[in-house]
Amino acid sequence: MSWSDPARRFEPAEDVQLRAELRDLLGLGPVAASRPTEPTPELTALADDLRREAQRRSRTERKRPTWGLLATAALPLLAALVGLGTWGFQQKHRADGLVAQAQRQEQELTRLAALHASELAKERQVKEEAQQQLQLVAKKGGRKGEPYLVIPVEKPLKTMGDDYQRVKQNPQ
Amino acid sequence: MAQSPTETPFGTQEAFHAAFAELYPRLVSYARRYGANFPEDIAQEAFVILMQREERVEHPTAFLYGTVRTLSLTERRPMKNQNLSLEVVAEPGLAGGADDLVLNQEVRERMRLLSPTFREALWLFVVEGLSIREIADILGIPEATVKTRIHRAKAQLKDQLNPSGGVHVLV
Repeated sequence: MSWSDPARRFEPAEDVQLRAELRDLLGLGPVAASRPTEPTPELTALADDLRREAQRRSRTERKRPTWGLLATAALPLLAALVGLGTWGFQQKHRADGLVAQAQRQEQELTRLAALHASELAKERQVKEEAQQQLQLVAKKGGRKGEPYLVIPVEKPLKTMGDDYQRVKQNPQ
Repeated sequence: MAQSPTETPFGTQEAFHAAFAELYPRLVSYARRYGANFPEDIAQEAFVILMQREERVEHPTAFLYGTVRTLSLTERRPMKNQNLSLEVVAEPGLAGGADDLVLNQEVRERMRLLSPTFREALWLFVVEGLSIREIADILGIPEATVKTRIHRAKAQLKDQLNPSGGVHVLV
C-alpha cells in the first residue's frame, strides 16, 4: 500500500488485522513493509505516453453536449406535446361553447313551452268562463232553457227583378 | 471538482510515476487472471481512461481495478463467455500465469477450493491489498457484502485447515 492513493492511507485496524489473519491462513506470511517500487525509465516513459494519449483524446474527442443533446432529442416530442395541448385546448374551448349554446337553446325552449302552456291555460279559462256565462244567461231568461229546433232558412242569393208582375198602374 | 492539466489523479507527476510503477504490473496480472488476451493493453487503457476523466476520481486505485475488470470481461464477451468472472477463468492452466508470480502452489490450491463468489473478494483484499471500500467500488456491491464474503472465505479456509470438523463460528 505504498502508492499515493489518499483513500488507502487510513484503513481501519480491524481490516488490517483481518488481512493479516487471512494471509496467515493462506500461508502467505505477514505483510511485509515493502519498499516503494522505483519507477524504471521504461515505466516512466510509458506513463508519460499514456498521459499524453489521454490529453490527446481529451482534446480531439468531441465533447458531447449532454443537455443540448437531450434538449435536441426532446424538441420534436416537446413540439408534439405543445401542438397536442393547443389542439386539446381548442377542442375543449369549442366543446364548452357548444355546451353553453345547447344550454341556452334548452332554456329558450323551456321558456317557450312554459309560455305556450300559460296561453293555453288562459284560453281554456276564457272558454270556461264564457260557457259558464252562457249557461247562466240561459238559466235566467229566454225559453226556460228548453231546447228548440232551429231550422235555417235559405235566403235567395239575389233578388230577381223580373220575378213579379205589376198589376196596377201607378196613379198619375 | 475538475483537476488541473498539470495535476494527475495521484497528485504530482512524481507521485503518478510511482503509482504507475506500482500498479501497472498488478493491473496486468489482474487482467491476465480474467483471461484477457492483451492484458498490457487493457491495463494501459485503464490508465488512459482514468486520466481522461475531467472529474476527480475519489479512489483511483479502485477505479483502475474496476476498469481493468470491465475491459477484460468485455474483451471476452465476443467469445460468448458471457458469465465469465475471475473465479471462472482463474483456474490452473487457464490464467495461472498471474498466480505463479505471486502465489505458490499450496496457496493457489487453497484459493481454488474456495467458493468462486468469495475467492474474488479474498483475492482483492489479501493479495492485491485493496481496502473494503475499494473492493466494494470495483465489484459494485455494498461494503457490508464485501465484508461478509471475506469472512465466509475465512471460514472456508478454516474448514480446509481443519477438515475433521468442528463447528466454527463466522467471525
